Formats: sequence, C-alpha cells, structure tokens
Amino acid sequence: MDVELSEILDTLCEYAPFSDLKDEPILQDMVKDIEIQYVRAGEWVIAPEARNDTLFFIRSGAIENKSKSGKLLRRMHEGDIFGSSSLLRGGRSSQTMRALEDSLLYRIPARWFIQFYSEFDAFSDFFELSREVRLKTAMDNQSSDLSLMTCPVHSLLRRPPITASHTVDIKTAANIMANERVSSLLITEDDALVGILTDRDLRNRVVAQGLPLDVRVDMIMTQNPITIDAGDFAAEAVLKMMATNIHHLPVIKNDRPVGVISTGDLVQRESHGSVYVISDIYKQEDVEGLVAISKKMSHIFTQLVNADANTQMIGNAMSHIGVAFVKRLIQLAERQLGPAPIPYCFLALGSQAREEQIISTDQDNALILHDRYDPALHGDYFRELSDFVCDNLDRCGYPLCTGDIMAKNPKWRLSLSDWKRTFGEWIEKPKAEALLHVSIFFDLRGIYGDKTLARQLNSHIRQLAKANKGFLSALARNANQRTPPLGFFRQFVLDGEGKQSRTFNLKSRGIAPIADLVRVHALALGSNKLNTFERLEDIEEAGVMPDGRARDLILALEMIGMVRIKNQKTQVEAGEEPNNKVDPETLSEFEKRHLRDAFNIVSRQQEFLKYRYPGKG
Amino acid sequence: MTLDNLPENWQQAYQEMANSTQSDALKRFYQAGVKGLDCPLEEAPLVALDIETTGLDSDENEIVSIGLVSFSLQAIKLRSAQYWLAKPHSALTAESVTIHEITHSEIQDAPRLSSFLDEVLDAIAGKIVVVHCAAIERPFLYRAAMKHYGEPLLFPMIDTMALEANITFKPWWKRFGRQPSLRLDACRQRYHLPRYRAHQALMDAVSCAELFQAQVAHQHVNKQDLTKLYCY
Repeated sequence: MDVELSEILDTLCEYAPFSDLKDEPILQDMVKDIEIQYVRAGEWVIAPEARNDTLFFIRSGAIENKSKSGKLLRRMHEGDIFGSSSLLRGGRSSQTMRALEDSLLYRIPARWFIQFYSEFDAFSDFFELSREVRLKTAMDNQSSDLSLMTCPVHSLLRRPPITASHTVDIKTAANIMANERVSSLLITEDDALVGILTDRDLRNRVVAQGLPLDVRVDMIMTQNPITIDAGDFAAEAVLKMMATNIHHLPVIKNDRPVGVISTGDLVQRESHGSVYVISDIYKQEDVEGLVAISKKMSHIFTQLVNADANTQMIGNAMSHIGVAFVKRLIQLAERQLGPAPIPYCFLALGSQAREEQIISTDQDNALILHDRYDPALHGDYFRELSDFVCDNLDRCGYPLCTGDIMAKNPKWRLSLSDWKRTFGEWIEKPKAEALLHVSIFFDLRGIYGDKTLARQLNSHIRQLAKANKGFLSALARNANQRTPPLGFFRQFVLDGEGKQSRTFNLKSRGIAPIADLVRVHALALGSNKLNTFERLEDIEEAGVMPDGRARDLILALEMIGMVRIKNQKTQVEAGEEPNNKVDPETLSEFEKRHLRDAFNIVSRQQEFLKYRYPGKG
Repeated sequence: MTLDNLPENWQQAYQEMANSTQSDALKRFYQAGVKGLDCPLEEAPLVALDIETTGLDSDENEIVSIGLVSFSLQAIKLRSAQYWLAKPHSALTAESVTIHEITHSEIQDAPRLSSFLDEVLDAIAGKIVVVHCAAIERPFLYRAAMKHYGEPLLFPMIDTMALEANITFKPWWKRFGRQPSLRLDACRQRYHLPRYRAHQALMDAVSCAELFQAQVAHQHVNKQDLTKLYCY
C-alpha cells in the first residue's frame, strides 16, 4: 500500500524550516503522523494555562499569539509555525494561541519536533528560542567573505612585514628593499612602528636632494604613518588611502606591524569606482564639475550594495563622499571669497556626523566661529560662505534641511562661547519638547577648518551631559517616542495595539530609535564616539547595558539597515526617488522574520532606557 | 435491504445481516455495528472515504482507487490513512483518466479490488463513514460487494454534499440566480479551506473530513441527533 500524502508534504516543504529538510526521507514518516484540525475564528488553540504537546503548522487561516497578560505578540498566517517554545519547555505554555480566522492546522506530534531539533542544525537554528542568537546566526550566514567591502584587512596580507630598525642608514634600508623586492619598508623601534620608507621617498627625499647614503633612515622616513587595524574592513583601508592620497598602509595588530597593504593589492582584488570618486571630487575646479559627479551617486550607491557591503561600510563610504563634497565646496568658496578672516570650523550634524549617511540625506550642518567673531566685521563673509556651501550642496543632491538646521541659518553660525552657552541651556534646563528638535546637534563632527573648535565644543557637551540626570532622562523620553512595529501579518505591518498598515518607515521606526537610544547611553557615558556602532562598542565595554545587549543592538541595526539599503537600491534601480518607506509585500520571509526579531530587540532596549534614566514625564 | 430500499433501523438491519451473511469479512463488519449512532458526535469514531472510478455509472464502471482516513471532530489522523489502487476488468476510458490522473501504467501492476475489499471493510467497521456525494460511493461499493461476496454491502453514511445542500438551501423566492456549487472544492472554499489537487482518492477523503469538521464547527450540524445526519 502506497500512502499518497505527497500534497501535504509538498506544502510543508514550501516553508522554512521544512524547506531545509525536503530531501530527508524521514519527513515522509513525519507526515503520516500529522493530525489535521479545523478551528473556528475565536476558538482557543492553546488556551491560557493549557499544556501543549504539538507543533502547529498553519495550512490556512490566521492565529493570534498573546502573552499571559494579554499583550499582543504576533499574528501568524499560512505557512507559519507555532508551539515550539512550549515544546522546548516540556509542554509548559507561557503564551496563548487563538484563531483569528477560521483556520486549518496541521499538528505535528512533539516527538518529531524533538527528533528533528536534535538531528538537523537548520531545524534547531530556526527554532532557536533567543531572538538574539537567531538574528546572529542569520546574519552570519548572510555575509560573504569574498567581497572587498566585507573582508578584513588581514585577509589581504600576503607576507609578513619587511622591517628595519630606525637606526639603520639609507643604504642598508635600500638594500633590504631591493633584496626583498618591496616598494616600502616599515621602520621600527623596539618592535613598534615608528615610520615608513617608500620608493618614492628614496627618489624625492634622497636622490633628488643629493643626500649621503649613510644618513640614518629615521631622518628621511615618514614619521608616525597613518595605519590601519588588521581587523578593520578592507574597504576602510581603501577609503583611508584615497582620502589621504597615500599608497602604502601599514597594518597593525596589538600595536605591532603585521604587514603592509598597497593600492596595488586593493586594485588587484577589486576595483571600486565608489572610492575613487573621493579623489575625483577634490579634482573639480568648479561647482558644475561637482554637480556632474553627484549625478553618479545613485550608481555608486547601487554598486556598493551589489558588492555586498554591510550597512556600516555603506554609511561610512557615503558619509566620506558627502564630506568630500562639503570640503571641496568650502575650498571653492574660499577661493572666491578669500581666506577666512578668523578661524572657524564647519560642522556636520546628524547622520553625516555619525558616518551613517545613506543616499539622499538632507544636509544638516552648522558653523563654529572663533570667539574673536565680530558680526559687523566678519558677518558678511560667513554668510556668503555658508550660502555658497549649502545652496550648492542642494544642487549636488543634498537637499536643504526642512528644519533649517544649516550653516545658512544665522542662528546656527555661532562663536564657540555662544555654542557652549546654547548647549549649556539645552542640557541644564532640559525641556523634552525643545530637545526633540535639537537632538541632532548632539551628533556633531568638525569636518573642515579649525577642528579644535569642534573638539572643544564636543568635550564641553560631554562634561555637561554626563553629569546631568534631568537632561539624560528628558533625552531618554524623547528617544522612546518613536517605537518599532511589532512585526508583520500578511501584507501588513503590525503594531503592538493590533493596528495594521500597508507601509512603514524604516528610518523613523527602526534606525532612528536605535540611534536615539544609543546616543543617550553614549552621552551618559561621556563617550567621544559618534558612530552608532562605535558608540555601542563603548557602551558594551562600559557595561552600561546588561551583558551582550549592546551586541544585540548592533545586529538589529545591521539587519534593519540592510533591508533599508536593499529597499533603496530597488527604488533607485526602478528610477524612483529613494525613501525610507517599505511595503511589507516586498520583503522576503527571511527579512520579515529577522526584522521582527530586530524590532523586538529595539523595543526591549527602549524599555531598559526608561528604567535606566528615570524621570518625570 | 437493497440500494433502493434502505433500512429504517440500521442497528437491527446490521444484526440481521451479521446473522445471515456467508462472508467472514461482512460478518466482522456487521458485527462491529454502528457505534456512532448512539453517542454524541464529539465522541463518534468517523472515517472519511473517497473512491475514484472509471466512469459515473456503477452498473458499467469500476472502482480504480479508494482512500480513507479516520478522524474525530478534533483531529484527522493521517497515521490511519489508507490508499489502494485497483486494476479494473475493463479498460480505462480517456475521460476518466483526465479526471483522476491514474494511468494505465500505474494500474498495470495493481491488485484487483477483490483482493483488498476485506481490508477496506475492516478499516471502516464500527465507524461512521463520511463521504462527499454518497450517490457515487454507495452504489459502487454495493456493486463491488455483490460481485465479490455475492451479498449487498450497505451502511449509513454522512454526506457532506447533502449537508451543504441543506446549509446553502434557499427557497426559490429568496434565491438569486443559480444554486451554489456543491462540488467538494467549492464547498471547501465557503469555509476558507485551502485548495487541494482534486481527484486523488486519499486527499479527497482528507478534504472531505476537513469539510465535515468545518461544517460542524460552523454549527450547521445538529450534534445531538446523529440519525438526522445520515443520508438514507
């Protein structure tokens, strides 16, 4: 007798985790053990306090999952699976399941679940109880190590570094380079890197200058060269080399040089238009040239996404490019207006300061002026400079800020003392409402001019903020105003109150809540980092959040960011203006599943924020 | 009792058949009785059954496959599912092949119905049989038993099609246009049950069991008086 239940098996195998097991013959035995049950809308499937001994597969209909206390947790539909968490707890159920629609359920006896759980990794990974572990496993499986964008610097190293002591003379150094056939030599003192000597140095600094060959090498080497950490992304090395126009980059691990990467290594590996664009920007002699480059930005963005760059890398690259536009525009402005009459510093605010820019970000910027600033004498110069920079940024695809937070606005062109006073008021007399509009100022980076001005302001902010509980609690309250959705249901996005909508904004419901809550911790900590990922590392080190929670947020941010970037890439490719709106129908099951985990992590950290920075409100 | 003359009292008819039959299999079947008749529907042992045939006329056509599955109002137990292919004496017609998709090559090596009819009877003995369209299942099984045992095989059936006809019935003055379709798939859609590939005897039996669960869940069925359910 041949039992013909292939239709049921086929249906199961369309959905994870059974899709991963579809070639396992044992699945056919499991199908024979299934019991089918029809439940009407409103009926309990797992009633409060009931025990559960089956894994449920929703063949049709919908099931609503609530906590013991009646809080909505999930809505599930065709192809979803539930009951696993009570099975893992020996049948004890802490949640309820109730039919939202008339539903047909396939009930799989617990013993199959237990058996598959112990036998198949793909199966147990799927049912991993901790959403953090689940998210991590998913992200690990996603990243490829082939791409230049995501591979670490040390994977590019082909040989140990060729080094020489700082006391050797030029001739000895040149001999080592000739014998080892290298174009650069790392100079060390007690094993620590103190300089670098390149072919070009020998030509420009020795031969061309007619220097005797017995001069010590530390007289002609480049001292304290720019380096990169072995664990950094290779793409960061590219950015560093492009931004500083160097061709050899020593790689450091635990304070010791472990190798050198050259532009040749990188070009050989993969050539990236996206990073060469920075040197292109600096070559432009007029605004028209910059505008022309800006037209290529969407192409560069899609190229980065296609290269499997992670969100951190894309944010980094897009911000560096954005900063390059600003810098070049200021240079062109100074060429027109003459050098600045007093020192000043041009500030990037918000996502550009955090190096988390993506495509089509509004400009947010400001100006710090030296305390010698006299509006009567210098006002016109800085007004013209700011107008030139902001208006032309707008032409280059960085639209004017709708909230008018720009250097163009005289309100945000202040002397250092006035800035300190302004921040002093925000911090010492915090009003949540007012703070909401200025939180963007707390992510502030000097990008051009006298950066010590920005540093002084930042350290002033840090000292004040750290000590001010009222300010931190007001900021925490603001950070909790925008909440992530609960999850998805069919083509809808689902809110905690059960509201369903057709689209949602990934920035305001995902990225921004994370950046906001991380900023509160970072300010409380006095961290000098601006980037959310880097802030989270500081937060983790300081132990502000319970163990591992900072890492969870990193994963959540990466997950949400990845979906946002992919969504924008699709929009760009379709010739649309990229935005942050996402239609759940365009998301894969994988994305929905892990976005839900990510949202959940964010929600819980918002709860923690309330507890950590309590206050009236 | 005959196809045209169904008994008023099934319990009594079963007893008489059990006493008079010459066949061991039929004796076992009738001795098992119709247990479900005197217990509430929640506790009644049910079995859904479906057959595929070479055509619609039970006098001329034959059964090519039988599928059945035991169930209750709470669960359809696939563990109990059984499925048989039968090699008919006459050739398969092109029309029937297009319906059930069972081809000549598949039944070439299949056994004759007579070799497993005992098994089918054992599987449904003591249970309430649920079918969709008793007008097919009943005469074909009757003829098969006549051919094999030389004796009639009759038992009460719940017909989900007849139930659905009652549920959807509206007198002509309330009706607008055509009567709703009573095909298995059409009935299932009214209860938001998933679409299955039709005309595979076992999946149709499972489909029929699901439909009956849905009809009961929607309280279209009087659970207290089972005799009302039967299609006589």
